[in-house]
Amino acid sequence: MNQDPPAAAEHTPTSERALLAFSGTELRKIYRTGETEVHALRGIDLAIPQGELQVFLGPSGSGKSTLLNIIGGLDRPTSGTLYYEDIELSALGDRELTRFRRAHVGFIFQFYNLIPSLTAEENVRLVTDISENPMPAADALDLVGLADRRDHYPAQLSGGEQQRVAVARAVAKQPGVLLCDEPTGALDSATGVRVLETLARANRELGTTVLIITHNAGIAAMANRVLHFLDGRIARELVNPNPIEPGQITW
Amino acid sequence: MVSALDRKLLRDLWRMRGQVLAIALVLAAATATFVMSTGVHGSLTETRDAYYERNTFADVFATMTRAPRSVIGRVAAIPGVQRVQGSISQYATLDFPERNEPVRALIESVDESGRNPINRITLTSGRLPRRGQAGEVVVDEAFATANVREPGDRLDALIYGTRQSLTIVGIGLAPNHIYAMAPGDLIPDNTRFGIFWMGEQALEAATDRTQAINTLAVTLQRGASEADVIRQIDTIIAPYGGTGAYGRDEHLSHAFLDNELMQLEAMTRVIPPVFLLVAVFLVYIVLGRMIRTERTQIGLLKAFGYSDAAVGWHYLKFALAIALLASVLGTLGGAWMGRAMTGLYAEYYRFPFLVYRISPSVFLGAAALSLGAAALGALGGMRSAIRLNPAVAMSPPPPPVYRAGLVERLGHRAGFTAIGHMIARHIARWPGRSAITVFGVALSLALLFATMQFLDASRTMIDSFFLRGQGQDLTVTLVEPRREDALHALRQIPGVLRAEPTRALAVRLSNGNRHERTALESAMPGSQLTARIDADGSAIALPPAGLMLSRQLADQLGLRAGERVQVELLGGRRTTTMMPVASIVNEFVGARAYAAESTLEALARDGSPVGAVLLRVDPARQGEILTRLKDMPLVLGVTERDASVRLFEDMIDDNLYTMLFFYVSFASAIAVGVVYNSARILFAEREHELATLRVLGYFRSEVGVVLLGELALLICAAVIPGCLIGYWMAQLMTDMFSSDLFRLPFAPSRASFGWSIVIVMTAAMATALLVARGVSRLDMVAVLKARD
Repeated sequence: MNQDPPAAAEHTPTSERALLAFSGTELRKIYRTGETEVHALRGIDLAIPQGELQVFLGPSGSGKSTLLNIIGGLDRPTSGTLYYEDIELSALGDRELTRFRRAHVGFIFQFYNLIPSLTAEENVRLVTDISENPMPAADALDLVGLADRRDHYPAQLSGGEQQRVAVARAVAKQPGVLLCDEPTGALDSATGVRVLETLARANRELGTTVLIITHNAGIAAMANRVLHFLDGRIARELVNPNPIEPGQITW
Repeated sequence: MVSALDRKLLRDLWRMRGQVLAIALVLAAATATFVMSTGVHGSLTETRDAYYERNTFADVFATMTRAPRSVIGRVAAIPGVQRVQGSISQYATLDFPERNEPVRALIESVDESGRNPINRITLTSGRLPRRGQAGEVVVDEAFATANVREPGDRLDALIYGTRQSLTIVGIGLAPNHIYAMAPGDLIPDNTRFGIFWMGEQALEAATDRTQAINTLAVTLQRGASEADVIRQIDTIIAPYGGTGAYGRDEHLSHAFLDNELMQLEAMTRVIPPVFLLVAVFLVYIVLGRMIRTERTQIGLLKAFGYSDAAVGWHYLKFALAIALLASVLGTLGGAWMGRAMTGLYAEYYRFPFLVYRISPSVFLGAAALSLGAAALGALGGMRSAIRLNPAVAMSPPPPPVYRAGLVERLGHRAGFTAIGHMIARHIARWPGRSAITVFGVALSLALLFATMQFLDASRTMIDSFFLRGQGQDLTVTLVEPRREDALHALRQIPGVLRAEPTRALAVRLSNGNRHERTALESAMPGSQLTARIDADGSAIALPPAGLMLSRQLADQLGLRAGERVQVELLGGRRTTTMMPVASIVNEFVGARAYAAESTLEALARDGSPVGAVLLRVDPARQGEILTRLKDMPLVLGVTERDASVRLFEDMIDDNLYTMLFFYVSFASAIAVGVVYNSARILFAEREHELATLRVLGYFRSEVGVVLLGELALLICAAVIPGCLIGYWMAQLMTDMFSSDLFRLPFAPSRASFGWSIVIVMTAAMATALLVARGVSRLDMVAVLKARD
């Protein structure tokens, strides 16, 4: 069952690597807090094909969020190399990482992280203002079914609606990759499904690579591939030949 | 044993040390100015009073042309008079062979055995002149120091037309010359003017006044009416050319010192309140924010059984701790500044001792002010902490509500970006705090401007009083009013380009029961060397008939142009006439009266219209001319205009710049304190949003714009109110600093506005940038993990 990722990614020619959204070798992350060292990632090799929808599962502290942050350019590995297509993320400085996030990454978080002083549409515009090839903010809200609530402030929206604004914000720039950390963690099942449906739709219609961290094993059924994390390593990698529709997920 | 809650207090103070220090600095500035000005005020007053007491400073003064010694007994018999002293005082020209600039002295007679009852000399070295030893003098300390003279030195003087050799036998000072300047000067010049004391017998001989006096000094019994005594003295001395007795309020030395004390008091009244006000607001916003973030903790404390009062007291203590820190800093700073100020005063005021001492009450007052301000600022926060219901407090706070308001509509019209909206809406969401930031920066700007414009005031004063009002290079005072021949004699001196006579008559002006003693000054028709400059800078011509009064004098007498005033000639012929007030000139210096030469002649009727001569000279020959003047017996003294201007400018350089340095630091302290606290709160509130923006791919600089944009907007918004408040504050301070002696011109320049704006904006923006550096330390990962 343990399917090794393409070994020795450093020798992979650019043309082949281009088919992969992310390829990583020996990724390690060590946090130093005072005198203790926490090994969050203990040498992960990674190959995430473009256009896949993957689910990361694993207990708290198993390293999945750390990996997602590194993939999203929020953090840097302590050692190892990581490529996004042919950009070596592990070699980028702060400014380039910001540029990478701006150009390629859409984030969705458990707590939405909307700007309370901006309306739904303006929260989306926050991203379309700075991206190269965005869809109109109104279209993005349409995509998540919130066109009629565009002038509402976050405080005037329900949790599910807020998360859908966050999704609209993430997809509006037409990113290469959507990174979702517990996107349904704070939602009931019906709203959770709507959010997942939007993610699946972006994956299907825009070809966006979607990576979802979740504690909800049911969600794994909609993924092309499921990575199980344990103790800073990928313990198992499962390929799902027949992903199901989010609506069919048993919550 | 420190309680757990107090430990929290100490840690909070340490955690928020930047903000705590910023507030403490503003409060410390209040404390420092308070300690400095009340301390200096107290020290000066105490020193003066002790000096007056010890050396018996007179209560009433009078001068006359010449009176027999017997008037002393007659004055002593007036009810209410305690002691009387009659003496001679005489201006003399000193001759320093190596210097050609005019040096003058006022020589006063002293009892050779040291039995003067009033205005006694304190000798710092040497001895009093001996009886029978002509030419022995005691020289005042400031003059001796400035000219490097000591007992044993000799110098020549021209006294009452006779050249005499003087020997310095002692150095001393007296309470009636704490502030001593030559007539016509505005600032003491210790190198060119000194007070000399000569033995009675010797001075009588030198001035040809055997058994005669020309000045009286009188002390009053407790409870005696000064006005009554003055009236009776006037009656007694009128036949001897008395120019009117006057009290301490008109005594030059006393009045100048009083003026200084009044200015210090004005400073105490205006400046510390500004700082205190800002500090109240700062404590209010910082504690308010602290209590909002510690909501849950407050709920917990209450749930554990801490009383409302205990919780309220906990937060009050936070504010009081800041105030305590500020009191210590401010007192130290104030004491240091007070010492520096006292040092400056010692240069201009001649005290035998001037020690800067702060009484415990000053410390207590300063501490009370700063504790009071902090407590006042803490009230709002305490109230919300006390009111918080524990159950409500432990649930998460309601999300901030943003609504479409005016800013919103404006924003849409202006086509704001999302970031623009974030900034505008945040300001609108916290209008109180935004207003406090604007107001605080505005006050800092106002304070800076109000103090900087004193430079403009001084420059306007120089320009108006010296440069435009006085066209002469030299003013030659004559020993006594002379006929036109004196004028001709001066015109004969090679290098003299123009000579104009002027004259001043001692008069008492009365309107109903208001009386003022002053000099009525004249200028020749078509004078090119004198001008009376109005506050707006225009020269006002002398009226062909009637008087022209300065605004100050007209106000004191309650007169307006067109009304009539009673003019009583003092000294010589005593006549009283009613004359019209033809015009009023808004002058800065003194309470003065003017009339045309012909008007004065009609009043005096003595045919000697020349009291002083104004000269314009060839600058290349000025030295030569001064040397000639020194040897002319009719010349009492010479004043060089340029030297007076230089002196005035030196004083501005010395004092005003020292003061400005303090105020630039103080005003900056306000700006820094206000902006630092606003920025820290803003940053804390928006940390989450800023990190989100970073995650979304905004660069640090772009994220910084959210923070700095809001601050920059608020800081810029402060410019106009700051200038307006500053303008008003400057007017208030100009008024408060004005006295009978001189009024400060209110002539703020654009440069002062500009500099104030530049300094405050620089301090404010630098502080904002300092806080905005935090953007680069934003932890994107941690922030996103937590709920806001």
